[in-house]
Amino acid sequence: MNIQDNYLKNKKNIFFSENKDIQTHREKLINIFENDRFDKKNNESLKNINLKNFIDFNYKYLIPEETSVINNNHENSYSIVSVNGQCSSFKDDKIEITKILDEDYNDFSKNDTIENNDHFVNLNSLFLNSGFKIVIKKNNNIKIRISNIITDDDLTIFQKNNYICEDGSSLNLIEEYENKNNSTSNILNVIKLEKNSQINHFLIQDNSPNHNLIITTHSSCKKDSTYIQKVYNFSEGYVRNFHYSELIEANSEADLQGIFFLKDNNTSNNKTFVKHLAEDCKSNQVYKGILKDRSKATYFSNTHVDQVAQKTEGYQLSKGILLSDNASYFSKPELKIYADDVKCSHGSTIGPIDENAIFYLRSRGMSKIAATKILISSFINEELNSIDNEQMSEIIQKKLVRYLSKVK
Amino acid sequence: MFLEIKDLSVKIENKNILKSLNLNINKGEVHAIMGPNGSGKSTLANVLAGKEDYEILNGRINFKDNNLFDLNIEERAQEGMFLAFQYPVEIPGVNITPFLHSAINSKRKRMSEEEIDNLSFAKLLKSKASDLGINIDMLKRSVNTGFSGGEKKRYEILQMSILNPDLAILDETDSGLDIDALKIVTDGVNKLKTKDNSFLIITHYQKLLDYIKPDYVHVMVNGSIVKSGGYEIAAEIEKDGFQKFQ
Repeated sequence: MNIQDNYLKNKKNIFFSENKDIQTHREKLINIFENDRFDKKNNESLKNINLKNFIDFNYKYLIPEETSVINNNHENSYSIVSVNGQCSSFKDDKIEITKILDEDYNDFSKNDTIENNDHFVNLNSLFLNSGFKIVIKKNNNIKIRISNIITDDDLTIFQKNNYICEDGSSLNLIEEYENKNNSTSNILNVIKLEKNSQINHFLIQDNSPNHNLIITTHSSCKKDSTYIQKVYNFSEGYVRNFHYSELIEANSEADLQGIFFLKDNNTSNNKTFVKHLAEDCKSNQVYKGILKDRSKATYFSNTHVDQVAQKTEGYQLSKGILLSDNASYFSKPELKIYADDVKCSHGSTIGPIDENAIFYLRSRGMSKIAATKILISSFINEELNSIDNEQMSEIIQKKLVRYLSKVK
Repeated sequence: MFLEIKDLSVKIENKNILKSLNLNINKGEVHAIMGPNGSGKSTLANVLAGKEDYEILNGRINFKDNNLFDLNIEERAQEGMFLAFQYPVEIPGVNITPFLHSAINSKRKRMSEEEIDNLSFAKLLKSKASDLGINIDMLKRSVNTGFSGGEKKRYEILQMSILNPDLAILDETDSGLDIDALKIVTDGVNKLKTKDNSFLIITHYQKLLDYIKPDYVHVMVNGSIVKSGGYEIAAEIEKDGFQKFQ
C-alpha cells in the first residue's frame, strides 16, 4: 500500500485529523513523498536502510489499556513509564506533563529545517498517534527517567514529544528504550531551552533484533543555555539517531555524543545538523562506534555557521573500530562556515583494532581476547568517564560487559 | 640450553630477513647483537616475542625446553620472555597500573603462583618506579601516552622489573635516551641481572655496552650472525664500523 492510501485508510486513528491546518500540512507532506519517493541515490541519510519496512508498512496502533505511571520518587525526581508513546497528565509546582496538542504540532511544522528533508520526520507528522509535552517551570532543577514500553507486536508508534525548559531551569533526562517485541517506534523529540537553562539528555537504546527505533531530536537553545545529549546504542535492532540543533541566541551550547555497539547484521544510522545562528556559541560532536560481524553504521555531520555567528567554536569527531572485515562504518563530517572569526575542526578515524597495540599487550602476558576487550573499553574510556550520573554509569558498564562477552 | 635458535630463516612480504641464523644463550648470560640498519635485529626480537607478521621458513627455537613456535605471544610472556620495545606503543585509555597488575597476575597464574593483591602490587610498583626515578604521577597515566622518548624507555624497564623475566630482549633501548636517562635505564637492567636470568641486548652502539657488560657480542649482517666474541668486538665496531663485516 502506498503512503497516501495508508494514511487515508487510518486517518481516523491519527492525531489531529480534524484540524484543517494540520490536514493541509499533511497533504503537502504526501506530495513530497509522491515527488521524491525516498530517493536513495541522492539522499545519503537513507544509506543501508531497508526502505520497504518503513514505506510499505501495516499501520497498527493500540491505545494503551494500562495508563502510564508518573512517580515523584524524591524531591525533584520523577520516573515515568510511557506506554505506546502515551503518558498521563501530571502537574505540580515544578513540572507539567500533558498530551501534545494541535498547537504543538503547528509550532513544529513551521520549522522547515527538518521537514522536506527528512522523510522519517514527515512520516512521523503524517501518522502521528502518540506523544506528550513536558514543561519544566522556571528556576527548577529536575530529574526525569522515562521508560518507554510497547505493549504488543506489530505496533507502529509515531510519537512527538515536546520538552520545554523554562528560564533558569535544568533537566537531567534519562530515556530508556528496551523493547523486545516486533514493532517500530518513530519518535520526534522537540526540545526548547529558554534562557540560562540546561538539559542533560541520556538515551539508552537496547532493543531486540525485531524492533526498529527511529529517534529524531530537534533542540533549540536560547541565550546562555546548554543542551547535552549522550546516546548509548546497544540495540540488536535497527536504530536511527538523528539530531537537529539550533543555537539561536548568544552563548548557547550543544554537546552531542553518540556511542554505538553493533553486531550481527545490525545497522545504525546517525546524523547531526547543527546550526550556529548567534555569536559566542559552541557545539561539540563526538560519535564513536564499535562494529563486529556484518554490522553497518553511518554518521553524517553538518555544522553550519551563519555569518552573524562570530566567535563560534564547532568541533566534530567520529571514530570507529571495525572488528570484522565485513563490518562497515561510513562517516562524512561537513563544515559550512560563513563567519570569519571562528574555531572549527572535524576529523574521522575508522579502522580495525590496532594490531601493534594488541601485540604490545599480549607481549606482557594478556590474552588476545583480553587485549581486544581492553582496547575496546579504552576506545570509549573518555566518554564513559564523563558520565557524571552514577546510576547511568552502572547501566552502561553492565551493557558494555554484555557486548564484550560476545567479542571473540 | 636456555635459548637455542637453530638455522632460523624468516621472511616478511616475500622478503627474506633472517637467513639460517644460529644463537645459543645460557642461563645467567648477557648477549649483545650489533648490526647495521636493516640487518634483521628487530625482526629477530619480534620473532622471539611471537609477532605474527612473519613467516618462519626454516629452523627451530627452543626456550626453557619448550618449542617456542608452540607458544603464542602471551604464553611466551607468561613463560618468562620479555621484549622491551624499540618503539613502545601508545595506548590511550589503558591505565598503566591495572594493566601491569593484570600482566603480572597472568604470569603468576600460569606458574600456578598465588595472584598478587592490589595493595601488595601498589607497594611493589611504587618501589620499582622509585628505583627508576619514575614519578608516581606517571603511573596514573595511560600506557606510553604522551610520554617523552626517555619516559617510554624507562617505563619499558619498569615493566621488565615488575615482570622479572627469565629472558629479557632489549631492542635498541638506548635509542632516544640522553646520557642521564641511559644511566638510569642501564642501572635498572643491571639490578635485575641474576644467575638465573638472561639478556639479549640489541644495539647499534658500544655506549650501551659500557653500562651493561655483555658476556658475548654478536655481529649480525644481512640476516645472519657473521661473527661472535667478547666485548672487544663492540670496541672494534665502534672504531671501524660495520663495513668490514659486510
